[in-house]
Parts: sequence; structure tokens; C-alpha cells
Amino acid sequence: MVIELRSNLKLSTKLTLFITGSKLAIVGLFILLLPFLIGQIASNYTNFSLRNQQKKVLQNINKKGIDYYFEGDNSYGSYTMLKDEYIALETVAQTLKLDTIRDTKRIVEQDTIAYRVLSFTFQKNQKTYLLEIGKTTASINLYNDALQRFALYVLIILIALSIIIDLIFTRQLIKPLGQIIKLRLTNSRFPFKKKHGNINTSTQDFKYLDHSLISLMDQINEAFEKEREFTANASHEFMTPISILQNKMENLLTEESASEAVQEHIVDMMKTLERLKKISRSLLLISRIENEQFSKQEEIEPQTLFNEIIEEIGHRLEEKNIQIDIKLSHNKRLGHINHDLLFQLFYNLINNAIKFNKENGRIQISDLLEKGYYTIQVSDSGQGIKAEDIPHVFDRFKKTGHAENAGYGLGLAIVKSIANYLNLKVQVNSIHGEGASFKVIFETEQRMSKSIT
Amino acid sequence: MKVLIIEDEKTLAFEMEKFLKKAFFLCDLAHSFKQGVNKLELNQYDYVLIDLGLPDGDGFELLSKAKKSNPDAAYIILTARGKLEDRVAGLDMGADDYLAKPFFLPELQSRMQAIARRKFKVDEALIPLGNFNIDLQKRFVFFEEEQIELSRKEFDLLSYLLLHKNRVLTRMQLSEHIWGNFVDDDYDSNYIDAHIKNIRKKLNVYAPTEWLETVRGVGYRIKK
Repeated sequence: MVIELRSNLKLSTKLTLFITGSKLAIVGLFILLLPFLIGQIASNYTNFSLRNQQKKVLQNINKKGIDYYFEGDNSYGSYTMLKDEYIALETVAQTLKLDTIRDTKRIVEQDTIAYRVLSFTFQKNQKTYLLEIGKTTASINLYNDALQRFALYVLIILIALSIIIDLIFTRQLIKPLGQIIKLRLTNSRFPFKKKHGNINTSTQDFKYLDHSLISLMDQINEAFEKEREFTANASHEFMTPISILQNKMENLLTEESASEAVQEHIVDMMKTLERLKKISRSLLLISRIENEQFSKQEEIEPQTLFNEIIEEIGHRLEEKNIQIDIKLSHNKRLGHINHDLLFQLFYNLINNAIKFNKENGRIQISDLLEKGYYTIQVSDSGQGIKAEDIPHVFDRFKKTGHAENAGYGLGLAIVKSIANYLNLKVQVNSIHGEGASFKVIFETEQRMSKSIT
Repeated sequence: MKVLIIEDEKTLAFEMEKFLKKAFFLCDLAHSFKQGVNKLELNQYDYVLIDLGLPDGDGFELLSKAKKSNPDAAYIILTARGKLEDRVAGLDMGADDYLAKPFFLPELQSRMQAIARRKFKVDEALIPLGNFNIDLQKRFVFFEEEQIELSRKEFDLLSYLLLHKNRVLTRMQLSEHIWGNFVDDDYDSNYIDAHIKNIRKKLNVYAPTEWLETVRGVGYRIKK
């Protein structure tokens, strides 16, 4: 779950999480170790100060003699007021030899108190003395809590500061990546005609990425250009031989010597040739659209357009007795389009709606606002499209209908190239067996601004 | 009527010649820019058909040269390029019509005749057809004094068949004339039949239309 979640995060978020996480882990570890460390430091410092005091005492004895402490007695002891430190000096057996610092308990005036005790034996005037300097363990750890707390605060402030600095820096660092994605990928539409601005970065990797993307897009463009050129040239080259064959057959048909049977054969051949001709013309139209050979400065009212289409196609509706309802309620005037292309687009959609419809079927054409965009919908009561075929309906030469009325499989390919060229979006919805509906969405804002009153 | 066909595809030029000859045009052929220029300097033509894709020169240049030596001729541009700009440029330069290859030969002839009506003011009076009279200019069909309502496409069909009377026209030739060569995904459409049926139905109310023949397996013909 966590892995799945993380795999969908943005790089900047991931970096933020990583930086924060790793710093918190280090801080956590440090906080765990802190009491031990501080204890260690306090203990070392105590040992050090015990040794210092030992040195002072020995210096005093050397300078002023042992009686400076003993004052005639044979032992010496002194406490601080709160009994947290003491010093003791006494004579011991000749053989005893000690130099240790250890935690132990001493009974001082009926109180058992834990001390850290430095025990040291030394020789003076043929006698052996034992020096003990003690410090209560409680006093050793007296400042530990305060120290710990202080260290913790400082640490937290420093960590927070460094996380902020890291975040600002990484954000700045990976900013060009976002720009590259936005400029080269999100905002650029195939074919990548427009050369966008440069990415400002001093990071070698991003420069490399950007250049690679640009060169990749150039390669795609080049390949696409070649394919387009080929399609255009091939379909052009077909036109002359088709012309010759067609005209020869026409003349042959009018020969007086041609019998009825021969004439029928010629017409059959002409039908086949007609098919070749229409395929070539369709391909040529697609390549002409892709080569942007059409103006985009025309305007039209949808109602007028549909009237024109119905005039052309009305006889097909009659033949199948299909009822067509055109309900346009928005009174829009479409701008920045090409009349002939938009005609062709809706002609093809309506033609399909007739072709794949049943006898006495229905076709509904309506307009609506979808997400604020003017949209025209063409729905039919025909056989519909199988779900697995829907992604391929706009592919060239893809025939998804029944063989008897499939056409060439270029009708919707033409629809798609026109839609691309005019910046329209086409959506298909279909339930197999119940009909299909095509939505043409006019996605440019200025199309909405013009309204007839 | 004299026609000069400037077309480098010889076979194509011969087929056009063959067809136009049957319609009583006198044809002359040129297979290159140079030949075309020579023939235009020597002769006067009524029609000049220019292919834009000549190997040794630009068709538009030929058009502007031809217009100087043959100012009264009618010019039709033929091209396999089919570009919109070509069409616009050709018409701007004074061509009378423009045909994209491949075109049907009856279409070429009907375009030439349309130019003749327009340009040479060949004003045909009412054309008799059986018991009917057809006014091609005003697009009317009369039975005696009564005007018969035909739809635009029905009239186009009738007048096209009439223009090519005594010749069988296939459904393809007819539908390309009626619907133009704009791209359609259907290759075996019999919509022409529906229109013919309607024409017969409308006219049969007045008089028999035995002159409008169905030629089985081929198409339709008006016999006169």
C-alpha cells in the first residue's frame, strides 16, 4: 500500500519525504543516544575534576607538609555543607596500593550516600597515606536533563532549518524538469510543429534530457512527414493510371461492337476502379488535411450545415425510412472552421448513422454544452459498435461493421483528421446492438463567444 | 468546334479525343508544353484543355501564353494534383473551368457545353423530349403549358442524360455528376435508381416516359 502510494508521487514530493525522513531518523537516533552521551560527558568531566583536586591536595602536601591537613591528628576529613563533596586523608598499612575512581557508598553522619570516589595511596615520610576525594553521583548528573533539553531544542531548530533549506534548494534544482515536462510533453501536440522556447538550466542531466526530447520529437516529425509525403505522392501517382483506365473503359462501353454481356463486364470493372479511385481520393483528402491545405477562417451556423447535409443525403434516409430529428437549441455560430471540412465530417457521421442503422430507425442530432464547450451529438438506433472495437474505429482501413456495408474503412479516419485539424474533439459512445453516438466538441473558447441573438 | 488537348499522357489524350470526336468535336493533340505553344500559335481553337503537370513547362504559364494567342478560346484545366490553390489560381488566371483527374468523359463534355452556353451564348430554346419540353437555362420541365416540379437533383439527372442523349451513362458517371467527387465511403450506391424512379413517377402522371431507358447491368439512357 505504502509502496503503491509512493510510486505515484511526484519527484519533488518524494525528495521532500526522503530528506525529511532521513533527517528525522538521524535526529531520533541522536535523541536516543543523548542521555548516554551526556551521562558519559558528565562522568568524564567529574573524573577530570577529581584528578584536578587530587593534584591540588598533593601540591599542598608537598609544599606545606602533611601536617597542613593533619594538624597533629592522624586523619583528616572535610565535607561541603550539603555533603555532595568530601575529602579524606588517613594513614594506612604500608602494603596498600590504590589508584582508582569508582562509584561506591559512604555513610556520612548516618546518611548512606552514593559517591564517586577517587582513592589514591602515596608515600610520605616512610608512611603510606590514602587520599579519598568523593563527589555525590547525584551532583554529577545534576545538569544532565537541562543539558539534554537544550541540546534537543537546538537540534530541532537546526534540523528544521536544514530541511527548509534542502526543500528550497531541491525544488529549485528540479524545477527545470517540471518545465521540460510541461513544455515538451504536456503542452505539445503532435505533430510538433511549433518549436518552443529554451529551458533555462545549468544541470547537465536536464540539458541532456531536453535535447534528447527535442531530437526525439524531430525524429518522430520526420518519420511522420515521410509517411504523409508518401501517402500524398502515392495517391497522386494513382490518379493518372486510374484516369487512363477509367476513360478507356468509358470509351469501350460506347463501342458499338460491345455486346450487352461485355458492357456488363466493363461496368463491373468500372465499379472496381471506382473503389480504387475513392480510396485514393480519401487518402489524398486526409493527407491534404494533414498538410493544412484548408482555410480555417470560415463561419457557419450548424443548422445551415445540417440542412445542406440532409439535402445531399436525404435520399438515403428515405430509402431506409429513417427518421431524423435535428434539435439545435443553442443558436451558435461556429467560427474558425472550414465549411467543406465540417460538412464532410458531419456528412460522414450521418452517413454512418444511416449505413449502420436498421430499417425505420432513428437518428438524433442535438447540441448541448458539455463542460462549457459547445457540443454536437449524432446518435443512431443502429447496430452499435462492440466495446473492443471502439478504440479502433478511427483507424484507417479498419472495418468494424458487417462486410456488406462496411465501405472502405476511411470514413471515420477522415472524421478524425478533420477534427484534429480544426481542433475539435470527437468522442464515441456505443452499446452494441443499441446504437452509437458521436460527440463533436468544439473545444476552443472563442467558439462560445459568438452567439446569434 | 475545335479542341486542343494538351496532355503528356498520350493514352489519356487519345481517350479524350476518341470520346469528343463522337460528340462531333474536332480534336488536336499536344503532348508537351512546347508542342502546345506551337499549335496555339498556328491555330485558333474553341476549347483548350491544359494538363497542369506537363514535363517541360508549367501549365499556368502555358495558360497565360495561350490566352494571348487564342483570346476567345474556352480553357479547362486538367490536373491530377487536385490542390485547392491550383483551382483558385487557374480560375483567377482566366480558365473557364477546372477538372480534377480522374474525371468521367461525359463530365468533361458537359462542362464544355456549359461553357459554350455561358461564353458563346449558345442559347438553346426549349428542348423537346417525348411529350415534354425542357428549359435547361431556367431549369423547368413542361408538359404542354404546365410546369412540372422536379427536385434539383432530379433535374440535374434528367438534363445530364439529355445532354448525352442516345448514350448509356453508368450509375457512377451519373452520381459523380450529381454529387460531385466529394469523398464518400460507399462504392456501390444505387441511389441513382431512386431518383430515376421519382422522375418517372412524376412525369408518368402526364405522359409515358419510354424514352428514359434502363440498360440492364449498365445504367440509363435517353433515347431520341
